[in-house]
Amino acid sequence: MSKYFGELDYSTEAVFQFPEGIPGFDDQTAFVFLEQSQTHPLVFMQSLVHPGLCFIAVPGLVADPTYHPDLSPEDLALLGLSLDPAPQTGSDILCLTLVTVSEQAGPTVNLASPIVLNLRNRKGVQAILPSSGYSLRQPLLAQGDLVPCS
Amino acid sequence: MRRRAGEGFLIGVDIEIDILEVSPTRVKIGIVAPDALQIVRKEVVLTRQENLTASRTAPPQTIAWLSRTLSKPRQGASAKLTAVKDLTDPIRFVSESTKTNL
Repeated sequence: MSKYFGELDYSTEAVFQFPEGIPGFDDQTAFVFLEQSQTHPLVFMQSLVHPGLCFIAVPGLVADPTYHPDLSPEDLALLGLSLDPAPQTGSDILCLTLVTVSEQAGPTVNLASPIVLNLRNRKGVQAILPSSGYSLRQPLLAQGDLVPCS
Repeated sequence: MRRRAGEGFLIGVDIEIDILEVSPTRVKIGIVAPDALQIVRKEVVLTRQENLTASRTAPPQTIAWLSRTLSKPRQGASAKLTAVKDLTDPIRFVSESTKTNL
């Protein structure tokens, strides 16, 4: 079962293992990532451990066209990646940023701790970028785009 | 308080902080504390709080609006305003076969 999509049929190759969960959800060790043309470019990060847990994400480059996170050696090791050759976004890895929707302010994305997926071995991690200068709450939309949600 | 490498200080009686190494950009710190005290990097705590907020349910109209607004500038003139409908489109799983510019 999923939070937003009802019953889901998925193959094992769609499952990403998060060996350490993510901060605050240490026991959530398996997720599937869902897309729909209707909700493009959003990606839904559905927990397989707890059906009621589903994050909304956008690709890092949608949130910030210049986004370039530098992963720590620990996170690279968790993903089974090395920097030589450097992994290619889109074919080796995917980098997603989690969206927070708050009623008071507009939607924000967490650029400081992206979800990084290794597409080859289907491992995932929430990378903590120390002193990257990226914000945990980067406004997602330019001011001019903010229109009332009716 | 100013400390050099090799010096330390105490918080209360059973928490000891030692400055082990100082480099131009990093400081290596040793901590002696009771087992019951959890020691976590600040970024991890902030990420945990943000994750808890981000895990709240987003109403369907917010999801539709987000999607519409985000795809608008990048699809140029061809951007279409889809009506708020149920999430009934075919669902695609992100997996190794995903060769997109996500």
